[in-house]
Amino acid sequence: MDPRHLVEHAGWLTDTPPTDVGFVPASLRRAPMGVDALDTERLIVNMGPQHPSTHGVLRVLLELDGEEVVAAESVIGYLHRGIEKLAEHRRYNAVGTLMDRGDYVSGIHNELAFALAAEAIMEIEVPRRAQWLRVLMAELNRIASHLVWYGTFGLDTGAMGQFLYAVRDREALLDILEDVTGQRMMFNYVRPGGVVADITPTAVEKIHAFLSTIDTHLDEHDQLLGGNEIFQGRVRGVGTIDLETAIAFGLTGANLRASGLGFDVRKDRPYAAYDEMDFAVPMSSDGDCLARYLVRMGEMREAVRIVRQCIEGLPEGEFMAKVPKVLRPPVGEAYAAVESPRGELGVHLVSDGSDTPYRMRYRPPALYALQAAEAILPGTLLADAVVILGSVDVVLGEIDR
Amino acid sequence: MSVWGTGILNGMRISFRNLLRGPITVKYPHEKVELPERSRWAVEIVRDEDGSHRCTACLACERACPDYIIRIDVTTGEDRSKHIDRWGYQIGACMMCGLCVEACPFDAIRMGHDYELARFRPEELDVALLTDTPAAGPKRKAADTPADRPERTPVQEAAQAAPESEQDAPREPEHD
Ligand code: SF4
Ligand code: SF4
Repeated sequence: MDPRHLVEHAGWLTDTPPTDVGFVPASLRRAPMGVDALDTERLIVNMGPQHPSTHGVLRVLLELDGEEVVAAESVIGYLHRGIEKLAEHRRYNAVGTLMDRGDYVSGIHNELAFALAAEAIMEIEVPRRAQWLRVLMAELNRIASHLVWYGTFGLDTGAMGQFLYAVRDREALLDILEDVTGQRMMFNYVRPGGVVADITPTAVEKIHAFLSTIDTHLDEHDQLLGGNEIFQGRVRGVGTIDLETAIAFGLTGANLRASGLGFDVRKDRPYAAYDEMDFAVPMSSDGDCLARYLVRMGEMREAVRIVRQCIEGLPEGEFMAKVPKVLRPPVGEAYAAVESPRGELGVHLVSDGSDTPYRMRYRPPALYALQAAEAILPGTLLADAVVILGSVDVVLGEIDR
Repeated sequence: MSVWGTGILNGMRISFRNLLRGPITVKYPHEKVELPERSRWAVEIVRDEDGSHRCTACLACERACPDYIIRIDVTTGEDRSKHIDRWGYQIGACMMCGLCVEACPFDAIRMGHDYELARFRPEELDVALLTDTPAAGPKRKAADTPADRPERTPVQEAAQAAPESEQDAPREPEHD
């Protein structure tokens, strides 16, 4: 990954003036474009920025020797909005609107990470009901996010119909989330101190309706894609990330668990009410695309279990702690991490005592997944490159932030 | 592993089963799904039965908006009464976060349910929700507003409880 274009114009990075050679992006300089003894020329292919399989606007420069990828380099920043900098000019209760737009597929987790960091500085005691509501919403959001991944991963491998099945279930989830939070994706629901609003009776009904069908629907998904031999042949043994690589690149979440390390922030550093929940962490040690698929599908079932526990055992009480209207955390800093559907999503917050953060650092798990994917791409086939990029579940809104 | 091909047959069986059930989509715009009560779309002014508004021109919403898109032009008369010249709202830049509604101590605005926000001309995106109208008197505190007002969230309660000094002086928008 060459981040220089984020700070400099790509044309300035070439040694020769751009007028002589046309527009040469900096990253192409490294690719040899050479001719070997057999007169075979390597081909540079730009995948993206608007390739359907890049899940956002990601450009991957692939150097191909025939069908084989020799080098891969991702170019990021197309979706850069400066969320970290903008957060320095937002009051604490308004930063959630920015966090939503980071990883836009799982907004609740993003908001939660920020809220936890702010609460850690301010030492706010969050009511128990708020914690449970956070877990409930986060897990519903996790299923919705995994369904998007499941649908698009099918598209990447060549299946089409199952995407619509995934959207059918996600629609039910977004209806629930809209009922409780007010919007379908940009929730602005979790704030420092608790959550903005209580769950509604209609939402409870919708959740019960959802829970009554989701198990059969998940079985359907398993049969539609996972049970399909063509799909299995397409993903088994493809894009293996071994544990060492995974750890070296800082992979977290399902990608890491598929490589054989059972690290889950919800279990290892419990936040919100996860220490009261009973759930398992699906794991695999194969590290290939099939393992990542199976781990995520397993996670959806565990998330359904957590939703059941939440809806049955939701404690009574307040959903928001008594906090002042304008939050002014004392001078200090805190790091809070949540297990987002993509991995450990962290927020490092520094406060200087004013009503806006002094600095907010946002750790997007997909950034590390993308780098790991980039590292394992050389040596694979071009068609597999699409599958591998799809399997690590990158969301560009989060990477570029 | 089972016999090769059973997975594919299974998939076809599922597709066939779904062929037999009714549609789960609606034919928008001929049919519309009902929005949940809390849906947040364009901001609107709350009107009492007699058509009067409750805005006291306290500018709390203007300060709360993260996008700086509310602009209320107020003239203060000699007797310190306030007159709203224009309650400006740039609908195209609004992200429907609801922070302005939470900030309003008088429940003068709410998040509406109008989601068909496409306009033909860009000027139409800059709307005036109130023009040339006297501000509601501060005596119309939320306490004596009609009972049908929406339930308050603790955020709003806290906003009410907070003394005026808790609220900041108007912030200069950083972007200009
Ligand atoms: S909903 Fe949000 S963005 Fe829109 S006017 Fe209110 S505070 Fe501003
Ligand atoms: S009364 Fe409400 S709508 Fe009117 S200026 Fe104050 S906060 Fe804004």
